[in-house]
Amino acid sequence: MINIDFSAYEETRPKVEGVVCPTCGKLHYPAPMICDRCNTRRDPSGARYSRWETTELEGNCTLLTWTRVHALPDGFDIPFLQFGIVEFSNGLRASGLLKSENPEIGMQLTAIADVVRETGNKKEWGLVFVT
Amino acid sequence: MLLDNMEKKLRPPELHMTPYPAKLITLTSGEKMVVREAERKETGILLQTILPLLGAPKDFYDVVAARMYSEILGWYRYRVANMFVLVGAIEGEIAGIVTSRMASPEIGISLHTLTIKRGLRVGAQLFAAKMEHHLDYLKQKEVYIVAESPIGFKRWMIEYDLESREDRYPEVQHELGGVPTYSLTRDLYEKVKDKKVTGIRPVPEEIVAASRPLRVPTEYSQVPNSREEKTA
Amino acid sequence: MRKVAVVGIGHTRFGNLSDYNLVDVMAMASLDAMEDAGITEERTLIDQLFVANMGGGIINHQTGIASALVSRIAMEPTPAELIENGPASGASAVKLGYMAVKSGMADLVMVTGGELMRAVTGWKGTDFVATLLHPDVEYRYGLTLPAFGGMFTRLYMERYGLTERDLALVAVKDHANGAKNPFAHVQNECTMEGIYDGPNAEVVNNYVAEPLRLYSMCPVSDGAASLLLCATDSPLYERFKKRAGIVISGIGSATDTHCVHNRKDPLDLEAVRISAERAYQNACLTASDISFAELHDAFVILEIAISEEIGLFRKGEAKNAIAEGATKVTGSMPINTSGGLKAKGHPVGATGVSQVYELVKQLRQEAEEGRQVADPVHGIAVNFGGFGNNVVTTICSKEFA
Repeated sequence: MINIDFSAYEETRPKVEGVVCPTCGKLHYPAPMICDRCNTRRDPSGARYSRWETTELEGNCTLLTWTRVHALPDGFDIPFLQFGIVEFSNGLRASGLLKSENPEIGMQLTAIADVVRETGNKKEWGLVFVT
Repeated sequence: MLLDNMEKKLRPPELHMTPYPAKLITLTSGEKMVVREAERKETGILLQTILPLLGAPKDFYDVVAARMYSEILGWYRYRVANMFVLVGAIEGEIAGIVTSRMASPEIGISLHTLTIKRGLRVGAQLFAAKMEHHLDYLKQKEVYIVAESPIGFKRWMIEYDLESREDRYPEVQHELGGVPTYSLTRDLYEKVKDKKVTGIRPVPEEIVAASRPLRVPTEYSQVPNSREEKTA
Repeated sequence: MRKVAVVGIGHTRFGNLSDYNLVDVMAMASLDAMEDAGITEERTLIDQLFVANMGGGIINHQTGIASALVSRIAMEPTPAELIENGPASGASAVKLGYMAVKSGMADLVMVTGGELMRAVTGWKGTDFVATLLHPDVEYRYGLTLPAFGGMFTRLYMERYGLTERDLALVAVKDHANGAKNPFAHVQNECTMEGIYDGPNAEVVNNYVAEPLRLYSMCPVSDGAASLLLCATDSPLYERFKKRAGIVISGIGSATDTHCVHNRKDPLDLEAVRISAERAYQNACLTASDISFAELHDAFVILEIAISEEIGLFRKGEAKNAIAEGATKVTGSMPINTSGGLKAKGHPVGATGVSQVYELVKQLRQEAEEGRQVADPVHGIAVNFGGFGNNVVTTICSKEFA
């Protein structure tokens, strides 16, 4: 019969993902084109090498450093934004929006996926770190 | 065929529709495409041709295919008023299909344009043929046109310099989704006709004969795995 | 004497790759070149990356592309810089890579060029390329590179009697070659009847910038290509025995006036002529030594004009050679065996590198059947930036020719 991938129409729950090397299992965020540990190549089209599995970045993480920025780029019409870099227990690190009243280096936060930017009517999803 | 009263009620009233005279277009690849009106008895092949594209979400193929599938089935079952179907075929193999209808003696409503064989401007030629039928053969005054995809918008709204009827919305709207419509008037058509409409008539009988029976295309570049996909 | 050999080549499909990321596409070609050379596992032996791209900052909203590529292929701390020279970015990157090796500062370098033009609409793409023009006296009118191509072609037709038929012949030849190149953007062939003398040709092959038609112009493409250059007197060259034997024998480049109206003679492509002279001199060769060429046919007229400017034919006479079939794969001077920009495609930052890829592929005698030149010895590539105001010419040869 005909081949329809109905998942193409699903409204997917937004998630922020890293990838897993299919050969040695190393986690990467963002996705490289070659694993720096075992030199296995990645092909985003899936045509030449098997696709790499994804791993969701979410949940418990430790705050490595942070800042509050009062001069934001074009399109952010708010007085300030807080950003931080965190580390997850699986070793992956990431930058994201920080929503915490009194941030402190070393504090435990929860990473969730949420809207981080709106350009026109297009929403962009990313990591938000909350207490 | 004797129609019972219920069937008569369910069918729309019919306007007289002059048949579209077939023409032959030489594409840039040297292939010769016959552009002719499809017959109801060819519905099966048309539906079979369109079906795989329901699984092609890129470039709006899925929604155009789904809508055209229902238009052709509706036409076959006499549930769409005054509709015609033109098909472009290369040695019988379907390269593209267009659907359209007469809303009244003066106003045409362009429905859909589906290109299966890409890269040769088949869609552009079939759309032009559709307009040719509305304005030159069915002798209408204007045709309402909308686009689902940006490609369509560029090829029709911009290249034909269509007149926008957005200011008359919602009194004037296109039946495809009830959206604001554009119009190809006779004046606009005459301006671009020489650059857009082409083809030789009459088509030699053997070539028209070779376009029957119509055949389902052998490859669909829009559908992955339909043929060998070359890698990035 | 230190020579610069091409020991690895990589190339993506050219076409619509805008589902993917620009740097990922460039990484694909880069890693393919390393695989070709057999050094993926030891890629940190590469001394420096030379990366070519023209539109990343404008249409893909990305800068620092060379640095991004380093991480994408896990090659920290290898040095890397981006080279932007309009549509000649690719060959300029080859030139700078060549200079690094020739000067002794590096033994092994990688040159990668890439572009993702189809990430934006056709209108935005045309505008982006038009930014090459002079902002005050050219760009603001809505002038585009095709506009200048059209004006050049019309003048050329008047002076030399070139006709649309001549242009069509070149397109047919380019498409015939492209159809045999699995990387080519356009795989369809075209016929003289279809694009020129058939009853529908005027409509299906419509004017774009008169007298240039749809089939006189290259498509808008995505893609990347990559090369590995190694010094022949380096101990590293030993590793590339399987790929040894093909060198860049000469490189030259030159500039011309920014504004097209200020050219001394609008039909003289001075930068092409001078860059080729410099390349020939560098290589101790002349035009008569050349076996085949990859010439920048963004508009088909350029294949003709450039072939004359670099001495393959006398001015105004290329059309006779073309009509006789001399520029076909089987002819006496095969031009654009890859399909050229016309059929292979033109991701602007990648083209210069892609042309050298083709020179090497032909010299290795590894081109697909039907587009392999018989026993080539010296190949020349001309990469044309702007409307000819910055041109880089590269000559590749068999090492012991």
